[in-house]
Amino acid sequence: MPAGHGLRSRTRDLFSRPFRKKGYIPLTTYLRTYKIGDYVDVKVNGAVHKGMPHKFYHGRTGRVWNVTKRAIGVEINKQVGNRIIRKRIHVRVEHVLPSRCQEDFRARVKKNDQLKTEAKARGEIISTKRQPEGPKPGFMVEGATLETVTPIPYDVVNDLKGGY
Amino acid sequence: MVFVKSVKTKAYFKRFQVKYKRRREGKTDYRARIRLINQDKNKYNTPKYRFVVRFTNKDIVAQIISSTIVGDLVLASAYAHELPQYGLEVGLTNYAAAYCTGLLLARRVLKTLELDSEYEGNVEATGEDFSVEPTDNRRPFRALLDVGLVRTTTGNRVFGALKGALDGGLDIPHSDKRFAGFKKDEKQLDAEVHRKYIYGGHVASYMKILMEDEPEKYQSHFSQYIKKGIDPDNLEEMYKKVHAAIRANPSPVKSTKPPPKEYKRYNLRKLTYEERKAKLVERLNALNSSAGADDDEDEDDE
Repeated sequence: MPAGHGLRSRTRDLFSRPFRKKGYIPLTTYLRTYKIGDYVDVKVNGAVHKGMPHKFYHGRTGRVWNVTKRAIGVEINKQVGNRIIRKRIHVRVEHVLPSRCQEDFRARVKKNDQLKTEAKARGEIISTKRQPEGPKPGFMVEGATLETVTPIPYDVVNDLKGGY
Repeated sequence: MVFVKSVKTKAYFKRFQVKYKRRREGKTDYRARIRLINQDKNKYNTPKYRFVVRFTNKDIVAQIISSTIVGDLVLASAYAHELPQYGLEVGLTNYAAAYCTGLLLARRVLKTLELDSEYEGNVEATGEDFSVEPTDNRRPFRALLDVGLVRTTTGNRVFGALKGALDGGLDIPHSDKRFAGFKKDEKQLDAEVHRKYIYGGHVASYMKILMEDEPEKYQSHFSQYIKKGIDPDNLEEMYKKVHAAIRANPSPVKSTKPPPKEYKRYNLRKLTYEERKAKLVERLNALNSSAGADDDEDEDDE
């Protein structure tokens, strides 16, 4: 009998719960709120059968475009052939985590705004651009002793000590 | 002794998954909790309140609680041990006391939210099924009943507390199927019987029976009632007065307690992260200095 390509095919391990984490899922997943425009990660929770996305979307990150009673609409990019389509799926909140992909960016924005206001108060112009890491500075090697190595003429007898 | 193959090997413990702590303690039913707390996502941060009723051996706890990720927040609470302030001193865990506690909590919450003049609720307790009517200005306060791990049989005291809260003016979705006095055969609530329970009629009739048949048992069982001078006939009067007193002033009384005294500590306190790191640094420094001394000695020897 051939393999079959049903909706949940090849998901034996993907959708299984991790070791010693079976049973009821922690309640913070139900208490989180999501707003339109937030970034979320899709991570399927095999314990909840309703509102599961297709296995393709497991591990993808997208933006929220719709919020309903128990589910979130997420917009995820999928490559189909030679183009990328923005696909809109609805997923129950148990299969969704808030994404940290923008966390670093938002923190930087906040810090930059603060720096800019401070600089404005002082009357200076500062650049808040990130600089790439440059080459490492030069340094002196410590505890180094000089050892001059010179070649010695080839001596057949000595070099064939091992046996011949 | 019979040779038994031990079940709890090392492998057993390695694979054992502990249940949640409150499940291990047998205090929380997570299946019910998930369903009570889950708020519609398109209502975002609107809190969902649950009307929690718990019974201990000598007390009744009624609270209005909303949930957040950091923990549950109690909006208002009422205990049966506060009822002596309102004139009820005995029988603090019976159906009538549960009704009083529910009523007290409802009036308290409505007072803090300034809804108490809007929603009077059912002032005269008749035992009929009463639901709050929404007025024009503000919608009634909605909460969901959380019974905990209690078996919800007809006539359970949690439904006494529920009736008290309903008559107090809270909007709690319910049906009259489990109130005391619901007849399963006719599928109807007998309001007279329910009213009897709310005013302690069942206690009064038992008192009368014991006075007739077993006076010694009556003396031992209802000793506190006798001491306070409560007869089966004036039980209903007493409860009516308590209800009126609750409606008059439901605010909680802040108790002034002396600050707790310092106790001698018998076991070692756990060190904080900083303290542990500092200890490690000290140990390393000590090692380095002694190692340094050893190195010097070795070099001298060579």
